[in-house]
Amino acid sequence: MKLENIKYVFLSFCAMTVLASCNNDDDFTPPMAMATCNDGMMNGDETGVDCGGSCTPCEDGMAPMMPDFSGTYTQIDFMGRPGINTVLSADDETKNAHNRAIPSEMGAMFQAGFQARLEAYHDVYANLLGANPDDVNYEPNILGLDAATLTGYLAADVLEVAPDLPTTYFNPGTDNDMDGRILVPDGDEVALTGRTPQDDVIDISLILLFGGMEGDRFSGQDTDMDGTPDLPRLTSDGVGLTADVSTTFPYLGAPE
Amino acid sequence: MKKTKLLMGLGALAFVSAILVAADHIDAPDSMGTTADIADFYAFEPSEGSDNTVFAVDLQSNVLPDLAYGTFDENVLTEINIDTNGDLVEDLVIQAIPRDGKMYFFGPVAPAATGISGQVMVDSPLGSVDISSHVAIVETTPDGVSLFAGPRQDAFFFDFFQFNAVIGGMAPGGFKPAGDPNSTDDDDTTAVDTFDGANTMSIVIEIPNTMLGETTATNALGLNVYKTWVTTNAKQ
Repeated sequence: MKLENIKYVFLSFCAMTVLASCNNDDDFTPPMAMATCNDGMMNGDETGVDCGGSCTPCEDGMAPMMPDFSGTYTQIDFMGRPGINTVLSADDETKNAHNRAIPSEMGAMFQAGFQARLEAYHDVYANLLGANPDDVNYEPNILGLDAATLTGYLAADVLEVAPDLPTTYFNPGTDNDMDGRILVPDGDEVALTGRTPQDDVIDISLILLFGGMEGDRFSGQDTDMDGTPDLPRLTSDGVGLTADVSTTFPYLGAPE
Repeated sequence: MKKTKLLMGLGALAFVSAILVAADHIDAPDSMGTTADIADFYAFEPSEGSDNTVFAVDLQSNVLPDLAYGTFDENVLTEINIDTNGDLVEDLVIQAIPRDGKMYFFGPVAPAATGISGQVMVDSPLGSVDISSHVAIVETTPDGVSLFAGPRQDAFFFDFFQFNAVIGGMAPGGFKPAGDPNSTDDDDTTAVDTFDGANTMSIVIEIPNTMLGETTATNALGLNVYKTWVTTNAKQ
């Protein structure tokens, strides 16, 4: 790192903190004291009161040095929405590629593969149910999104958070305008506005992937009324929050 | 049963574990179990009507044996990316990187370069906080930004092994029904939160929306949102 940079880093750090004085242990030789170096104020380019900058270096131990943050840092892991890479990337190679991608390129890179993966999940159950996989395809979900649209939306893997609205990851039971439709985007429902630790993101994801237009397509129904469920239970994993969370900062519970 | 069923179950579990330990929390072979493994990301309004936004990033997790958990890595830069115009390119970044027992925060600031490589934005310091141990140490800056870094409970919940069985075609019934969360009866017939009892290394920041600015980006319902994502970045 160049000396100029080090100096600038150092100065910016000292400027941001309220410090009586700063420590400078480089090979810097103090120049002639300037007029402001004896006025009892931190002014000019001083980094402490009458010291640092072009004045005498501040005393050792009075303030931390800015640590070294130099270097180039390169992306190795990525996350937007929970579970996207896990659930929709088909293999290890794709998962690794996803973690090194940027959102603006993700749609082109991953949408088709995500859609194929989504259809493959439905095929698994078609086969288990003894049905023709061609007959058990993804149907538009509770948000009215078809497979291509949904996977395109999810492929650009970002978590959205609204600055001026309540945080709702998705509430499949909300019908705020009482129009009989559950969260169809007709303009007055609030959803997809963030994610809290309490949100059941797996159940929500499962509903969007397997729930169909009503949100309960594969929820373990007994369609032939023989007392045994003949559809798989895919819209809820059956677990809720077990960790401690708080309503105050830092919101997450102390480690166990 | 039960023995046969149990053995089958264990066999399936071992098989699934072998091919699918790549979960999102632990989502890809190249990052899994490393100090840079992102476990989770939350972004929310702390209370209704609040003028602040909270970002929480969980790194690492001891959800499975042998996964790293316990310390932040000084060679790993954690970056919260914020897109305010909907083009899916970061307009602002908030960075966190540890040095000698403290977590240093920078931003929110336009990054010197977008994309997969970058530098610590040392000219835009936000503040720092001592890295906590069991008891949370919290720092609040003069700008009203709250900072935290340290171990926390992993709040994520998911019957992850049953998910693996489902997608492996080994669970025709799908997920298991909910059980009594307080029951210690582990009879394998009800759902289990794989992440119960796991911990992560967490970074939490609560920041006034005024420091993030207006956003024109919209979600699928047309509501104004910040589009956000988190990355970990290794020093080259």
